[in-house]
Amino acid sequence: MPTRLIPRRIADDVIELQVSSPVEAQTLASALRELVPAEDVIAGLDRVSVQFHPSCAAQIEHALQDVTVENKTKPNSAPPIEIGISYGGEYGPDLASVCEALDLSTDAFIETHTQRVHTVEMIGFTPGFSYISGLPENFSVPRLASPRPRVPAGSVGVSAGFTGIYALNGPGGWPLIGKTDAELFRANNQDPFLLTPGQLVRFRAL
Amino acid sequence: MLVVTKPGLQSTLQAAPRIGYRHFGVPYAGPADELSHALANRLVGNTATTPALEITFGGFEAEVETECSIAVTGAYDQIHISGQTAPAHTTLHLKSGDRIEILPVTRGTRTYLAIATGFQADEAFGSKSTYLPAQLGGLDGRALKAGDRLKSVGSPVLRETRETPVSHRPVFAHAVALRACASAETDLLDEADRKSLFEDTFIAGRQATRMGVTLTGRTLSPMSDGQMKSAPVFPGTIQCPPSGTPVVLLCDAQTTGGYPRIGHIARCDRHLLGQIRPGDQTKLLQRRPEDALRDYAEKRKFLDTWLKP
Repeated sequence: MPTRLIPRRIADDVIELQVSSPVEAQTLASALRELVPAEDVIAGLDRVSVQFHPSCAAQIEHALQDVTVENKTKPNSAPPIEIGISYGGEYGPDLASVCEALDLSTDAFIETHTQRVHTVEMIGFTPGFSYISGLPENFSVPRLASPRPRVPAGSVGVSAGFTGIYALNGPGGWPLIGKTDAELFRANNQDPFLLTPGQLVRFRAL
Repeated sequence: MLVVTKPGLQSTLQAAPRIGYRHFGVPYAGPADELSHALANRLVGNTATTPALEITFGGFEAEVETECSIAVTGAYDQIHISGQTAPAHTTLHLKSGDRIEILPVTRGTRTYLAIATGFQADEAFGSKSTYLPAQLGGLDGRALKAGDRLKSVGSPVLRETRETPVSHRPVFAHAVALRACASAETDLLDEADRKSLFEDTFIAGRQATRMGVTLTGRTLSPMSDGQMKSAPVFPGTIQCPPSGTPVVLLCDAQTTGGYPRIGHIARCDRHLLGQIRPGDQTKLLQRRPEDALRDYAEKRKFLDTWLKP
């Protein structure tokens, strides 16, 4: 059954729709990019935001009145991509506190993280930053109270049930558990983004 | 051609925002003060989004290698051409050997310097604007260094002198009022905090970058467990992390974020964000979205009497 969505104004030039999963958000965002004259349509993990030029306000409001989303997921048949992580140490300064919060040994955390097949749910924040689901439900740790001003590229964090990989140097609020050498964003490459939503991922301890 | 002799704290080439790639995590970038950037281009006969220099806090010097027409807008205290005071908001005709100096700025933050036909710049993801964190656009995606040579696209001479009408010249003080709308998570603030956000005066914090400006002086306490799902954010979004210090996002705003979005600077006033200095008094004026759109249309109409004659 398709669900009818209620548009909500979150700024003078942004309307947001709430959905129930990252897959729905990605599907809806792709559809809307074809459907409405927006400046950009961005999927969050459970929202889709449509930013528009003020001259298109009436047209966008009208188009978003009757939007529905199908609650079905496409199975992904492509094999998982492997991403190596150096856990802990200088680039994983929060691994110990994360393990403490989860009441786990470091080894048990790494074992869980590397044994599961994860899914890229969203690219966002900065170019290439990937939100990857697949941690057990109870692996939920909050973001840092104050974001760090400088997080090195390749840093791997966990928050709210997701693994996140910082593709660039920059500020960041996720507790950091390690670092990868994988390049998630290559500006001059024909295909600049290593990961795309829907891609399956396996982590390997380096 | 200009040769940079003193780049200042952070000078970059900025042009049109990078529209249409936010869903890959690529921010808009573009000038932090879009209006001053457009005004500079107007004075040298360029379209509004032609690549021009954005200089942070002044302290910039360059040497002129070939005859050219330039214009300076945005924040400025003193502009010197070969040691002589020169006006902002006026086409300046320079000759080979002239020295341009933008002295340190004490009100506002960013100065814009445009050249007739525009500066040459790299294009990435459909825009020539510099985005430093990913080294996109501009001059090799980086801030300018001493010795950099900035070339114009065509012959950089305008055979005419233009002046921005006084009515259209933005004035920067140590206080700014910004129209703003409630946003997706404003409801997470209790009544007292909501009132505080839209009525109290905040002080711009020490973090005042192209990515965001913090609002200090009081803290807010959104009812949040720190587990909010990452949601889209934009230039203008006001996020409130658990520290309680709101952050207003600017042109280099990240594309998604997990902190409550407690407000959103209205489009009509977003250009002002690029001129907020640490320590400036900042007040938000709440507008309903439909009123803010009307404000935008009115401001646009007024600005276009000069920008699009």
